[in-house]
Amino acid sequence: MFDTVAEKKFLLKQLVKKDLTAKYKDSVLGILWSFFNPLLIMLVFTAIFSMLFGRSIENYPVYFLSGRLIYDFYNSATKGAMRSIKRNASLLKKIYVPKYMFSVSAVCYEFVNFLISFVILFGVMLITGAKFHMTSIYAIIPIFLLVILIFGVGLILAVCNTYFSDVGYLYNVFTLILMYASALFYPIEIVPGTVQKIFSLNPIYSAITCFREAVVYGVVPNFNTLAYLAAFAFTVFFVGILLFNIYDKKLALEI
Amino acid sequence: MSIFSRFRKKEKDSTPTMDKEVAIEVTDLVMEFKITKDKIDTLKEYVIRTLKRNKKEKQKIRILDGITFKVHKGERMGVLGFNGAGKSTLLRIISGIYEPTEGSVKINGKVAPLLAISAGFDKNYTGKNNIFLNGAYLSMEENYLKEKYDEIVEFSELGEFINYPVKNYSKGMQSKLGFSVATAIKPDILILDEVLGVGDIKFKRKSSAKIKSMMKDGVTVLLVSHSIGQIKKICDRCIWIEDGKIVMEGEAKEVCEAYVKSSKKK
Repeated sequence: MFDTVAEKKFLLKQLVKKDLTAKYKDSVLGILWSFFNPLLIMLVFTAIFSMLFGRSIENYPVYFLSGRLIYDFYNSATKGAMRSIKRNASLLKKIYVPKYMFSVSAVCYEFVNFLISFVILFGVMLITGAKFHMTSIYAIIPIFLLVILIFGVGLILAVCNTYFSDVGYLYNVFTLILMYASALFYPIEIVPGTVQKIFSLNPIYSAITCFREAVVYGVVPNFNTLAYLAAFAFTVFFVGILLFNIYDKKLALEI
Repeated sequence: MSIFSRFRKKEKDSTPTMDKEVAIEVTDLVMEFKITKDKIDTLKEYVIRTLKRNKKEKQKIRILDGITFKVHKGERMGVLGFNGAGKSTLLRIISGIYEPTEGSVKINGKVAPLLAISAGFDKNYTGKNNIFLNGAYLSMEENYLKEKYDEIVEFSELGEFINYPVKNYSKGMQSKLGFSVATAIKPDILILDEVLGVGDIKFKRKSSAKIKSMMKDGVTVLLVSHSIGQIKKICDRCIWIEDGKIVMEGEAKEVCEAYVKSSKKK
């Protein structure tokens, strides 16, 4: 069972397809729904904060949206992976399927949504007359590192959530703090220097900064920030794989 | 099974030390479940109990206690036992769902577990999509499924309904579809938990015929059943499990007779 890569690939494809059809099939607006949520939030935040921060941020809607998309991806993908094992508990008790496949598919599903949401960023950049830069191609690096980080965090959370059902609530609080510490809707300069240093340890903030540098400001992302993000992401990734391997066998008895 | 150990296991399987003729080899299998009266399932409780040092002792229950048997290639092995003897646990370990506490299971060949044939259905999905989803769960490859697709639809007798969501299917239709997908693999080892014959009388005949034809192709069979008649008819050898131990192993007929006798005593 599941000895070849082709079998696993096909399963992954089927799982992602299943989630995507579940999301888009029976709704009238279909794929448009995934545009609405970030777009509305962007409008609200622009209405409230562009007066406040408008002077220090050149193009507020693009500034906000570029951060928000990255954060949303991290938020929903890690939460999806966290619930993946428990959600499929009844199936995992009945037939043998490698458990991590469900966590991986949850992340892949959110990654597809993330790619779709780039359409909004593109549209908003067009409307607001933002410049498009060649350096945007560098955005691939922080996004790749972010995906690595998400896999690691997702695997760790999936194990914890199977053992302790309240991990989900704790994580909700944690991601809220993470959002405020990611400078999504305000310029980082408004917080004191020491706090800025603490915020710069937040890997999501690093990913957002690098992404903004490449796409919005048209510069090559700062190497140190990228290196920090890479070190953080890969460490968490390996811890995640290690932890999942240790508990993988025991999970079937816990669900 | 973990990501790495699967690779390791594969290596082990291909070593020449394993007897080629053996399809399933179970050695000294022990399965323990830990149970507590009030399970700690929140982090909050876990921290509080740890601080207060009043964690309840976990009780261990031995479901399987040193099971050893071999099934040779092409052999049909029956498993008998009263309720709670550990038969289902044994099948789950063999199909890889549970990891045994001790002992080992070696499997030589492709397994088709017909344990929960409609477990993987997505109710909102059409029958067609469910064929592919379920096939993926059973570790079939995409091209193979595409090739077999028409055959599966035809066997399931669903006709036009294959394009409707499974939530509109009756129980019988669901199990027909599940059976058709699960038997689309050409397995070396067939694991059955009394699923011989699903659906109406017509389909029952057809599904038994299908299983029989699979058996004719030299498939190894492991069958758990409460029907003595079925085991006598299908199996050549049989094991009888009670309280997680093998009470008797031998010719299907002999074991069945002894089993029936003991049930009358109680």
